[in-house]
Amino acid sequence: MAHAGQLTAARTPRPALADPVTMVRIAIIVGVLAFWEVLSRSGWLYRDVVPSLVAISKAVGELLIDKDYYWNLGWTGFEVAVALGIGGVGGLLAGLILGSNKLLGKSFEPYLYYLGPTPKIIFFPVMIMWFGIGPGSKIALGTISCFFPIALSTAAGMRQIKPVLISVGRTYRANAWQMMTKIYIPAMRHPIINGIRLGLGVAIIGTLLAETKLSNKGIGFLIINAYSTFDMPRMYALLIVLFVLSIGVNALVGRFGGLDKIKRS
Amino acid sequence: MAAIVQSFDSKASATPSSSDAIMRVEDISMRFSTPDGVLTAVDDVSFAVRPGEFLSVIGPSGCGKSTLFNVIGGLLGGYEGRVSVAGETITGPHASIGMVFQEESTFPWRTVVDNVAFPLELSGMAKAQRVERARHFIKLVGLDGFENRYPSELSGGMRQRVSMARTLAFEPKILLMDEPFAALDEQTRLLLGDKVLQIQQQLKQTTLLITHNITEAVQLSDRILVMTYRPGKIKRIVDIDLPRPRTSDIVSSEAFGRYVAQIWSDLREEASRGMSDDEKTRQGGHPR
Repeated sequence: MAHAGQLTAARTPRPALADPVTMVRIAIIVGVLAFWEVLSRSGWLYRDVVPSLVAISKAVGELLIDKDYYWNLGWTGFEVAVALGIGGVGGLLAGLILGSNKLLGKSFEPYLYYLGPTPKIIFFPVMIMWFGIGPGSKIALGTISCFFPIALSTAAGMRQIKPVLISVGRTYRANAWQMMTKIYIPAMRHPIINGIRLGLGVAIIGTLLAETKLSNKGIGFLIINAYSTFDMPRMYALLIVLFVLSIGVNALVGRFGGLDKIKRS
Repeated sequence: MAAIVQSFDSKASATPSSSDAIMRVEDISMRFSTPDGVLTAVDDVSFAVRPGEFLSVIGPSGCGKSTLFNVIGGLLGGYEGRVSVAGETITGPHASIGMVFQEESTFPWRTVVDNVAFPLELSGMAKAQRVERARHFIKLVGLDGFENRYPSELSGGMRQRVSMARTLAFEPKILLMDEPFAALDEQTRLLLGDKVLQIQQQLKQTTLLITHNITEAVQLSDRILVMTYRPGKIKRIVDIDLPRPRTSDIVSSEAFGRYVAQIWSDLREEASRGMSDDEKTRQGGHPR
């Protein structure tokens, strides 16, 4: 954790353009783009499977002024947010209960550990039956995706609290609510934030995956729609935009975690 | 020399008359069942704490000091006997007892001022008021200027002072400390001892210190209870008749040296019993 902080700190001064690492990084991008363009023009692959960079850039431009795109992006964002809200609160509560109650913790945890890494998409058919093909089933899938990492890291975090901090709370005669809000939760803030970061990642994956399977709105739906109408430039444009968005969201959550680190260290 | 021997009046000072005592520890025994049978950690310990005095409990590792600390603080149940403060029996953590732990116990997510204000926050004191009270106690332990720092920005000795200020802010009748300076180096420990003496002087704070450090005990105390190695019993009560106000300069006085020598001669036997038990255990045998 502290290492991550140091790395970020070390990276903050902007590397000079002449820095060899920067040069190689730029070279990699240029190389990949050149290879792509050559492949696209060579005619070795089936037409349009690898559209030219020009076509893709044009598609990105069109996408960015497309109202339809923003509407679908909004739906996906909404689904992820609701999933993270339900799964996050549920996971936090489950983690607190399992972490504080030894019997329940020991009884439930093996199941959580086995279910945790299971790809949640296998539950998608069930979710469609329960919640329909609209956003409901996507939210459900996103929810069960992020529930597990948040519950598990909360429960683990609870067990790592230094016992002396609990004793301190008891000697000052904190009541149950004060113990929870003023000692347990702040003492567990790192595992909890970590769980939320992991949870956000899998909630996005779960939601998008569900949208590509069966849906009528959302970014996943747009991608699979572009694919099935063989609109390759648009499909690639969607992937690129999604890629950039994911980086942005990750950086945002990372920054949230990073802020907290400054306070601690 | 004769004067010192006289001051070891064992039972008389252990049980002052009832009007005299702020806290009474009566016939405390604590047994744990272990795979090797029942272990008696504390065996029939009784003593009384007088208002305003600084009382230390000293003993070798394994004499049940920490058990006693947790029993008196109300953190540990299942013992025989009775602990009472001003006549009221202790059944759990009590508002009149404030504890300072050996381990690092500051909240790393709170600044110094928020750490110290913690007990006041629990009791629902308004923010402005509790910050003011907290600042008062931070100043008392000599940490003014560090109010808005986080514990990780402080040294170990400073963090223990934060813990002490936090417990003082709780305004306990009795300050109960378990080797609060054990993890610190000798110089820091002596200097913090000065701080404790100064605070003691200022607040007339009744204090019960659990320690294994003879110098620390003699430097700070009015009386010292010497405990035996397992099972922990009171071996002797020593009145420390050194002038107050004291500073750490006292450690170089002749009287100080005599007290240290006397307590060490009591403790040596106990500590060596502890050591040979420990060695037996490591050889695969069982301690008694």
